[in-house]
Amino acid sequence: MNEKARAEEHLRVIRSLMERATIYRAISAPTALVGGLLAVATTAVLWFGDNARLTTAPPLDGRRFAEIWLLILAIVLGLNAFFVRREAQQDGRPFLSSGARLALRAIAPCLIIPAATTIWFFKNAEPIDREILVAVWIAFYGLALLATALFAPRSLVVLGWAFLLTGLAILFWPKSLGDDPRQMYPTLAMGATFGLYHLVYAACVWAKSQAGTRELLATE
Amino acid sequence: MPDFDKLDKAIHEKGRLAIMTLLASRVSWSFQDLKAELKMSDGNLVTHLRTLHKLGFVAVTKEVLDRPQTSYALTTKGRDAFTDYLHVLEQIVNAGKA
Repeated sequence: MNEKARAEEHLRVIRSLMERATIYRAISAPTALVGGLLAVATTAVLWFGDNARLTTAPPLDGRRFAEIWLLILAIVLGLNAFFVRREAQQDGRPFLSSGARLALRAIAPCLIIPAATTIWFFKNAEPIDREILVAVWIAFYGLALLATALFAPRSLVVLGWAFLLTGLAILFWPKSLGDDPRQMYPTLAMGATFGLYHLVYAACVWAKSQAGTRELLATE
Repeated sequence: MPDFDKLDKAIHEKGRLAIMTLLASRVSWSFQDLKAELKMSDGNLVTHLRTLHKLGFVAVTKEVLDRPQTSYALTTKGRDAFTDYLHVLEQIVNAGKA
């Protein structure tokens, strides 16, 4: 290897280390995987449950719909805390690293509107308009991810845009897709976004981390 | 023409270069964070940090929060040395293009 190639290799390793040090991934692959699987499973249960009582009972109540998804959110948040704590213990680091605190500060303002909307719907809306609720949840979740864009890996930014654009599309889609008497479109939207999007993201992160580890070992 | 002989040997060693790079990317790093990021043994990391500290490149802060913690940061001298190191590397790359 000549001197120019050696110098380029050194600079590449330095840049790679600096990027790794300044990037923080707000959603880990295990959290995305578990969250995605839970969302897909919940969608399947709601879908088949609705089909089973198609002729005997009215569609699932909007309030119950929101409660189920909030329960799933609580489970995923609990599991995420477990994953973060386990990783921190393994590395001998504090539970809330500087990267985690930075991400929380960026994300928190984006969660105020969906939280307020959810509370408002529970208190005032009768019946709950689940299409608007789902659109707000999805769009603002996307905004929260995009709020970390300055220090997030590209895959997380792409995920943020996917959520944001899907949330906006959901605001308009019921009119174009026709009647939804059983109100299953919002359930399917939750399964597609919080389920499938997260599963695709988890698969991409895992594939990339494997490739990254191989590359780093090769240069060392 | 610039060559590898002009590079600061203290920084050029692979382990110390990685430490200097990380220290240049943030205001300060705890020992545990450095260890986790670089996947180095305690002894190896301590030896390199001690070398860099003796050269005046790295400042050490010891504090007791919920537990004792040692943090490391680049000094002005260390940052200048790292910048000079990068300049020499750039010059080698640019000279190769000419």
